[in-house]
Amino acid sequence: MNHSARFVPYLYVAPLVALLLFVFGYPLVRIFEFSFKMVRGIDGPWIGWRNYDLVLSQPLFWESVQHNMLLLVAVPFMVGWSLLIAVVLYERLKGWKLYRVVLFLPYILAIPIIAVIMKKIFQFNGPVNEVLRWLSLDFLALDWIGSSDVALWTVMMLIIWRESALGIILFLARLLSLDESLIESAKLEGASWWQRLWYVIVPQMKVVIEFYVVTSVITILSAVFSYVFMIGGGRGGPGTSTMVVELYIFNALIRTSLPGIASAVSVMLFLVSLLLIVPLFAVRRRANEEEMG
Amino acid sequence: MKRNWREGFSRRELLKTSAGLGAGVALNGLLPSTAARAAGPDLNMWWWGEQELPGLKAVVDDAVKSYTAASVKPMLQDTAVVISQFQTAAAAGEAPDIQFLWNGIYHMESVWLGYLQPLEGLVSDQVIKDSSPTLLSRFGGKTYRVGWYALPMIWIYNKDLYDKAGLDADKAPATWDEFLAACEKLKSAGIAPLGGGIQDGYWGEWYFGHAIAQNVDSAGEVIGLFTGERDFREPKYHEHWVKLEELKKAGFLNADMSSTELYPGIDLIPAGKIAAGQSVGARVPKDSEMTKGRIGTMVMPVYGKGKLAGKPIFDSQGLGIPTKAKNPKDAAAFLEYLQSPEQLKLLHDKTGWIPANTNFDLSVITDPVVVDMWKRWGQSENIPYLANLVPGQFYEQALLPSAQQVVEGKITGEEAGELAYKVAKEWRDFNPDIVENYKKWSTDLGG
Repeated sequence: MNHSARFVPYLYVAPLVALLLFVFGYPLVRIFEFSFKMVRGIDGPWIGWRNYDLVLSQPLFWESVQHNMLLLVAVPFMVGWSLLIAVVLYERLKGWKLYRVVLFLPYILAIPIIAVIMKKIFQFNGPVNEVLRWLSLDFLALDWIGSSDVALWTVMMLIIWRESALGIILFLARLLSLDESLIESAKLEGASWWQRLWYVIVPQMKVVIEFYVVTSVITILSAVFSYVFMIGGGRGGPGTSTMVVELYIFNALIRTSLPGIASAVSVMLFLVSLLLIVPLFAVRRRANEEEMG
Repeated sequence: MKRNWREGFSRRELLKTSAGLGAGVALNGLLPSTAARAAGPDLNMWWWGEQELPGLKAVVDDAVKSYTAASVKPMLQDTAVVISQFQTAAAAGEAPDIQFLWNGIYHMESVWLGYLQPLEGLVSDQVIKDSSPTLLSRFGGKTYRVGWYALPMIWIYNKDLYDKAGLDADKAPATWDEFLAACEKLKSAGIAPLGGGIQDGYWGEWYFGHAIAQNVDSAGEVIGLFTGERDFREPKYHEHWVKLEELKKAGFLNADMSSTELYPGIDLIPAGKIAAGQSVGARVPKDSEMTKGRIGTMVMPVYGKGKLAGKPIFDSQGLGIPTKAKNPKDAAAFLEYLQSPEQLKLLHDKTGWIPANTNFDLSVITDPVVVDMWKRWGQSENIPYLANLVPGQFYEQALLPSAQQVVEGKITGEEAGELAYKVAKEWRDFNPDIVENYKKWSTDLGG
C-alpha cells in the first residue's frame, strides 16, 4: 500500500467525523466552558470553580443524587423480573408469542403516555385505591403520587415495569440462541428447573445480563427525566421527593435562568456516565470475544 | 406564570389540528402571507397566550390582517421557551419588534439584561396607563409592558354548597374567623370546605400570591424577603403557611388535593365537590355558565394586618418592545392599535374574555357574575400579584415544595418559613448580580 492510499479510509470517514464533532463536540466544549462562567443570556464572566462549589454545597443537589442512587434499587428487580419472565416464555407456554408482544408493549409506548395513564390510575381516589378499598385493604390505599414518602417508589415501580420489557426481549433472544442439548442433558441428569436455570442457563447468559445491568444503571442515572417529570407534577414533587439530577439540570437551565449551574451539573453527570460506559465497552468486547470462540 | 385553564385535547381535535397544520404548511408555500399583503415596514411579533386563552390566535390574525401601517408577522411561542427564546435572540441581536411578556420577574430579568426598552416616549402615556400593565412592569421609573388581557386572581365558592350547609351564599366570608366558622359548618354537612389540586405545585404559587399580601404594606416589602433585608422566619412573613397548616389539621382541605393537579382541582368547585378554592377570572364565565350563576367570587378572607390585606389582586399579560427592535416606533404604533376600541371588542368576541383596558365597554358582557367580578377586580382599587416577584430559584425550591409539603402534612408552617429563609439565602449566593437589581426594584415598588 502506498503512502497516500493509507489515508483514503480516513478521508471517507472524515465528513462524518466532522459532523459528529460539530453536533456533539462543540456543545460539549461549550458546556465545559459555561460551567466555569456565570452565564446570563448567552455568555457571562469567568468565575472559576464557583458553580461547582455552589452546587456541591447545596442540599437539594445531594438530595437529587440520593434519589438517583435510591432508584438504582430498581436494577436488581428489573434483572430478576426480566429473567424470570424470559425463562417462563422460553418454556413455550401456550400463547407465549402473544405474551411476548404484550410484555414488550410498554417499551414501545412513549413514557409520557404511560406516565399520564399511571398517574390517573394511582391518584388518591383513582382505580387502584378504589379496588383496594373495595377489598377492605384501606391501609394499602396510599397517596401514591401525592405523598413525599411514597412518590419515589411509585416512580420506581413504573421504571421497573417499563424498562423490564427491554430486559425480557434481550434475555429471550439470548435464550433462543442457546444450545438446547446442554439443557436437555441437565434434564436427563435429573436437574430440577431451578438447578437448570441457575447452573446451566444463567452462566450462558452472563454477558447479556451484564450488558443489561450496565445500560440499566446508565438509564437510572441519566435517563429517568420523563418518568419523574410526569409523575412528580413536572417539579420533582411532592416537595422535592422525586427530584433527580436530570430535573435539577432542567430546572437550572429553563426555570431558574442559571445556565452556568446547569452546565456544571451536566459536566459532572457526563463524567459519571463516561465512567460507566467503560465497563459497558468491556462487556461488549468480552461478548465479541466469546462469539469469536 | 399561569397555566392553560382549559385543559384537554380530544383525539378529534388533534386530528383536526394536524390536518390544519399540514394544509397550512402546504398553502404557506403557495400563497403570499397575510403580513406580506400589508404596506409599510415588516414587524416581527413573538407572542404567547393561545395556550391560556383559546381564541387569541384569531385575535392576532385578525389584528394583523386589518392593520395597514405595517406588515406584522406573528409567531406563537411554546410555553417552555417564551423567555429563553427571546433572551437568546436578544443577546444575538435578533430580537423581534414586539415580544410577549409575563408580568414581574418574568420580564424584569430581560429589562436588567438590557433586552427591553422603556415604552415612555414610544407608546402614548394614556394607552400605557389604560392598559393596566400593573406596578410590576415598572423599573427605574419606566414602564416596560403594555397590558394585553386581564388576569384577576380570585377565590371562588359554590353557592349551592354554601346553601346546603346553611350559610348565606350571597355573603362570602370576609374575615378569617368567619371563614373558619363557614368551613366548620361545611365540614359538618359532609362537604370539603376548601381546596383544589396541588400535585403540579401551581396551587401553592396562587396561595402565596393571595396570602403574602396579608401581612405586607407594599410589593417592595416582599422583595426584601429575597434580598435579605427581611426574614421569612419572622412569624408575620410565614403566617400564610401556618394558616394553611391549620386548614390541613382541621380537615378543611379535600383529601385528594395532593394527587390532583391545579385545573382538575378547580373543576371540583363548580362540579359541587369542593365548596371553595382559588381560581382565575378567565375561568369565571365558563364556571358561571356551568352552575347557572351559582358561582361566587371573593378575595381571600382577611387575617393579616398589612395594608394590602383584603384587596383584589389584578394581573395582566402584556407586550413589550425589545431594545434591538428594528422598528420600535412602528411596533409602538401596533401596540396602540391593539388597544383601540375595535380591537378590544375583537378580543372579547373571539375569546369571551376581557382585555386589559380600563376603557373596555362592559355593556357587551351579559353575565352579572362576570360584570360584578370585573367591577371589583378590574375597576376598583387593586393590588399586583405578588407571586410574580418571586425569583425562579425560590419558586422551584421553596415556594412550591413548601406548599405541597404543608398540604401533605409533612412540614409545619414554621418549618416552611425556615426553608424559605434558607432558599432565599441560597438564591442570593447563586445570583449576586440579580440581587442588586432586586434591591433597586424594591425602591420602585415602595419597599
